[in-house]
Amino acid sequence: MSMGSFWRICASERLKMSKSYIWLLVILSPAIAILPGALSIRDGEEVTWGLLLSVMSVVHGLLFLPVLSGIFAALICRYEHQDGGWKLLLSLPVTRMKVYLSKYVMIIALLGVVQLLFLVCLLGMGWIRDAAAPVPWSILLFSVFGGWIACLPLAALQLAVSQGWSSFGAPLALNVSLTIPNILIANSATYGPYYPWVQPSLAMTPNGQDGFGAFNLPLDSLMIVVLGSLIVFLVAGLFFFWRKAV
Amino acid sequence: MLNTEVKNMKDMKNTVIETKDLWKKYRGRAAVENLNLNISKGEIYGFLGPNGAGKTTTIRMLLGLITPTSGSIEIFGQDLRKNKLQILRKIGSLVESPSYYGHLSAVDNLEVIRRILDVSKSRIPEVLDIVSLTGEEKRPVKGFSLGMKQRLGIAAALLGSPELLILDEPTNGLDPSGIQEIRSLIKRLPLEQGITVLVSSHLLSEIEQMADTVGIIRQGQLIYQDTITNLQQQAAGEMRLHVSDPIVALNLAGHCGYDGALREDKLIFSRMNDARVALLVKELVENGHSVYRVEEHRQSLEDFFLQVIGGGEA
Ligand SMILES: Nc1ncnc2c1ncn2[C@@H]1O[C@H](COP(=O)(O)OP(=O)(O)OP(=O)(O)O)[C@@H](O)[C@H]1O
Ligand SMILES: [Mg+2]
Repeated sequence: MSMGSFWRICASERLKMSKSYIWLLVILSPAIAILPGALSIRDGEEVTWGLLLSVMSVVHGLLFLPVLSGIFAALICRYEHQDGGWKLLLSLPVTRMKVYLSKYVMIIALLGVVQLLFLVCLLGMGWIRDAAAPVPWSILLFSVFGGWIACLPLAALQLAVSQGWSSFGAPLALNVSLTIPNILIANSATYGPYYPWVQPSLAMTPNGQDGFGAFNLPLDSLMIVVLGSLIVFLVAGLFFFWRKAV
Repeated sequence: MLNTEVKNMKDMKNTVIETKDLWKKYRGRAAVENLNLNISKGEIYGFLGPNGAGKTTTIRMLLGLITPTSGSIEIFGQDLRKNKLQILRKIGSLVESPSYYGHLSAVDNLEVIRRILDVSKSRIPEVLDIVSLTGEEKRPVKGFSLGMKQRLGIAAALLGSPELLILDEPTNGLDPSGIQEIRSLIKRLPLEQGITVLVSSHLLSEIEQMADTVGIIRQGQLIYQDTITNLQQQAAGEMRLHVSDPIVALNLAGHCGYDGALREDKLIFSRMNDARVALLVKELVENGHSVYRVEEHRQSLEDFFLQVIGGGEA
């Protein structure tokens, strides 16, 4: 009964989302990643899966994944802010907790689809460019999955901000300004592991020697930074949404 | 023991909404002050007040959209804080300006709500028909006129076959025929389906044409709550008597049990029936007064309303 009502809210969210242009954004980043994948040339050298993954995931992980987390969150709150959606939704027999979590599930599901499409583009590129067999499945899957996990806290923070600010642009501006430092921080061994916005990139980049078969993130950084910030952002967002005057 | 007795009494009276000492303060300023609403099953309750009186604030508290600063709300005999979901399942509502998802069609807007309420799909064409939106259901709602959006909002409120309908200024933005339609719909609901309706408005004429009971709110305070019939009676006006010697006559009338006043050399009494008028005149004539004129002065309900809501400033 309890879970049923949660899925009903999710079904309702899906319908609201399906008639918007959110789907274009889902395709955007994987499609753009095709470019560096297609253009990367090493004279005489064989095209490897590792090479494809590293060139294709640079912009995707460093820029698009964090920014998309924010855009999805803002879009999913936008139609509630616009014409009284919140009061329509919250005067129905729903708990605020379930409404909030269903929105969160939508965001991370969209990010999941983005990662799957990225994987499809990567595999397609490897096939077209005749990358050296065999396909290193564990590296590819851990990269894609790790990138997704690293997005979870960003999505939680952006949802918290987007539900509170009725403006569409402000949460996005915040998101972009937190993502821009990635360019500097990504190469910093001191700050890199502790900056949440750079984690998707770190998680996706193949880690040379010891990246095989394991998360590309060092485990303690994953635990502390990703899980820690996820819990903090999610609980804070829920708390404010719980008290939100509609 | 006492508690169950109180419960039984409530069941007999069939109270649907009861608020006790309800307050909502914004930065120390009261938007709703010590409000005690009492709404019975099957009635149309007109919630009347000028702009900024606190109607919407009260309704948002009834729906759990904002939390009261203090006081309690019972709906269907249950505490709103404890049984919010069960209560909201039985309420259909429309708060302030119509709420909708502009990028979706009317049908999809209703489908969004239907999925949460888990009612049959056939309810959607039914409610669209009730508010006369059939034929427009496939267009994105952002292209709707205000009146059409309002109708969609009413359709959404009816979707879950509610037992209690809370409508905040439902005829806002409707054309005269739309107002007529919605008004007759609202009047039909209690009769046909036993639905209780709380409808707010700042127009007395509107409430007068729909409501059984009226609650008047001014500056956050409920200053009047009674049946519309009693309101009409109170507003019914006064009797004015021109007599030869008003001061003595007023004294005499007082002795005979007629409470009156003197204004511009005329005796003023509250409205009374024919027999009492006849008796008063007889009494005066028998005591040597000349009665020149007996006038009935009718005050419009609108005047009465303005007098009531203006009471604070006067
Ligand atoms: N969020 C808020 N913050 C501060 N004051 C508020 C807030 N919401 C309402 N008020 C104040 O509470 C009072 C009552 O407002 P409310 O919207 O309930 O009036 P209303 O009776 O619905 O008026 P109208 O007929 O114009 O719709 C107003 O003085 C308003 O300024
Ligand atoms: Mg209002």
